[in-house]
Amino acid sequence: MAMSDYRTNVCNVLVIGSGGAGYRAAISAYQAGCEVVVLGKRLRKDAHTVLAAGGINAALGTVDPEDSWQQHFADTFRDGYLLNNAAMVEIMAREAGSAVLELADWGCDFARLPDGRLDQRFFGAHKYRRTCYAGDYTGRAILHTLADKAEELKLPVHENKYVTQLLVHDGACFGALAFDIHTGERTVYLADAVILAAGGHTRLWRRSSSRRDENTGDGMYLALQAGLELADMELVQFHPTGMVAPEDMAGTLVTEAVRGEGGILRNSLGERYMEKYDPARKELSTRDRVALANYTEIIEGRGTANGAVYLDISHRPKDYILKKLPRMYRQFMESQMLDISQKPMEVAPTAHYSMGGVVVDPETTETAVRGLFAAGEVSAGLHGANRLGGNSLVETLVFGRRAGENAAAYSNGIDVQIRSKDVIRRANDDLSGMIREGGELARPLQRAVRNTMWENCGVVRDEDRLKQGLARLAELREAAKTVDVRPSSEGWQDLALALDLRASIASAEATIRSAIERRESRGAQQRYDYPDLSPDLMVNFRIRMDENGNQTLSSVPVPEIPAELQEWVEEDPQLALNGRLLE
Amino acid sequence: MDLTFRIRRFNPEAPEGKRKPYWQEFTLQNVDETDRVLELLHRIKWEQDGTLTLRRACAHGICGSDAMRINGVNKLACKVLAKEVGAKVQIEPILGLPVLKDLVVDMEPFFAHYRSVMPYFINNSAEPARERFQTQHDRELYDDTTKCILCACCTTSCPSYWANGDYVGPAAIVQAHRFIFDTRDEGAKERLDVLADPDGVWRCRTVYNCTPACPRGIQVTRAIGEVKLAIMRGSPEGIIKEGVGEIATSSG
Repeated sequence: MAMSDYRTNVCNVLVIGSGGAGYRAAISAYQAGCEVVVLGKRLRKDAHTVLAAGGINAALGTVDPEDSWQQHFADTFRDGYLLNNAAMVEIMAREAGSAVLELADWGCDFARLPDGRLDQRFFGAHKYRRTCYAGDYTGRAILHTLADKAEELKLPVHENKYVTQLLVHDGACFGALAFDIHTGERTVYLADAVILAAGGHTRLWRRSSSRRDENTGDGMYLALQAGLELADMELVQFHPTGMVAPEDMAGTLVTEAVRGEGGILRNSLGERYMEKYDPARKELSTRDRVALANYTEIIEGRGTANGAVYLDISHRPKDYILKKLPRMYRQFMESQMLDISQKPMEVAPTAHYSMGGVVVDPETTETAVRGLFAAGEVSAGLHGANRLGGNSLVETLVFGRRAGENAAAYSNGIDVQIRSKDVIRRANDDLSGMIREGGELARPLQRAVRNTMWENCGVVRDEDRLKQGLARLAELREAAKTVDVRPSSEGWQDLALALDLRASIASAEATIRSAIERRESRGAQQRYDYPDLSPDLMVNFRIRMDENGNQTLSSVPVPEIPAELQEWVEEDPQLALNGRLLE
Repeated sequence: MDLTFRIRRFNPEAPEGKRKPYWQEFTLQNVDETDRVLELLHRIKWEQDGTLTLRRACAHGICGSDAMRINGVNKLACKVLAKEVGAKVQIEPILGLPVLKDLVVDMEPFFAHYRSVMPYFINNSAEPARERFQTQHDRELYDDTTKCILCACCTTSCPSYWANGDYVGPAAIVQAHRFIFDTRDEGAKERLDVLADPDGVWRCRTVYNCTPACPRGIQVTRAIGEVKLAIMRGSPEGIIKEGVGEIATSSG
């Protein structure tokens, strides 16, 4: 096959991403009468959604009847430090119940109450018990249910497809170019409408709870390339305790329950440093404070050789640990052969979730490009400056469903779709241009991006380091232009890595630019040089990219909260913005 | 420590006459006993021979893409530590599926069997006003088989499957079990009909290879036995007296 050749595939609605949001969107678009194609970078039941553990929120009131969607709204809005898009939060809270019940009706194996109704439990910073769950594998249960439903509907899922560019002509999206990671075969997917559901960018930090080569900011880059704006890119949630070894598991979560059961944090000098940061609550302080403390100890040189602090539960009897923390016991035993009832664990903060992303219309999920929709972690607005645990899974269902319905309505409503040959040719040329011999390799450069983000745009930031980070990214962007990309015997992994790298550098730059501009500490954004929350910064920062790859920043005021919901947010007299639970 | 790998290689693009499988040895130095086999295979690929080909995705034991035969037993490479394999380890592709290249096999026959059992929730009765109830007891009945990640470790460890690729195989039966014993599902009869076929459950000779092969700790042979009983009695009702309870699995 000559390099410039490609196959063509035509459908009504093209879904990019086979995680929770993508599958949910595909199902509703199909049910609205559209031919759908789903593209996934991985195999069909292997999207990142499977790693979500804890649960999914909906104010069903099965356990706490006094719960309401308004309360869910208020909890989410407050813990987003008021930077959330109120309309999105309202839609999420209103529709969460039907989304969860629908999933149960499709066979999802949620945990049950003795009388057969769905069980609900507490999650951090929720007023009532509203989190439905399936053991500690809720994300997997949900993704499998959606994938099974897609199987039942015989929806085509094209696996191992890497999307390189959205095809946009005259302000409307008419498809995407993708290649097969194994064979290199290119396909131009032509569609009436496209749904972007391609995840976040937390793999850009050295320590990340994301898997390797996932959440590289590639979805965000597709949006930038298409001329869209990204919002809130600086708002990245860090979890205080992730594993640091083995290397390929660095960042994997160590549950908060370890501290709940009496785990003690110490630095390499043996100091119980939480006595300094929060003398009253110590290890049981809020997540943002613990993450801040761990990070500060490590950055200031009181960490272990592995860049970690110690988390010690070994003062508890082994039987107790086996009963209360069986999964953690197994996790450390299997991966490090470490008996946590005998020795302390090494932990460090880990990048966990992208609150920012593509700007969408709350009602329809449509973007500023006609016929292009976005849902899930790739989109911005729902979580504000901090995401509540259990809200990301419900986001995928609620906004995935809306994306599918609205993309289908758009597809059914248009008469003619212009498919620009010139746009296709340029996308194809851009991809061909990436294949070349060069002096640099993608993986070390990607690692450099991750080190840069960790050191210069980590848990706590300051202007000097952020600006150094920006300069370092500029160097990396230059180096990335000479990345060596050739088809290897195992396929076109090199090309995927090179594209990931290009996307990662741009997403990282957008993050740092926004982080510089947010001169305050609020939720996930912590600054040494601006330690307090600034009431004047009730804005969302937005980034766009021009044809030469240069980014510009603007700011827009956070949308007003509907009057009838104002009282719910204000109801709680101890609404304290500083030091609330992260997640 | 040093660790020697003996790896089964196959290159479909080798010149005519050389296109047959062969063994190749690689030795890695400075191996830590907690290094996982998947990482070590990557080291071989990155440091010694870039043509070595394998599948992997999540490296967390969830995606099921790196199933391979390690010292003669099917395992996920991301779940096996160097310490467990000794000073010399033998790595082969899983058996019973066509080898595409090195450790990568064609999974399509496996997924065709999977699709044949209608692996999705079927309930065509009127939608409930609010939700379909299910007791904790009933939820427990199929708990074990929800853990399947379709890695094919069970099916490709089964001598009956090696002998006859038309046999639907343990993994497809596990997938069917998950729905057959879900009290909310209405497709049990159709699935039991599919599995009553000569290439259905009766090809299982209870060799039990599948159960220890499962990286998720699913009681595979037990699940197959329950499906057999359901076929003989014409219904899944009352076959499982109580759930099998939590089986130790790792990262989950």
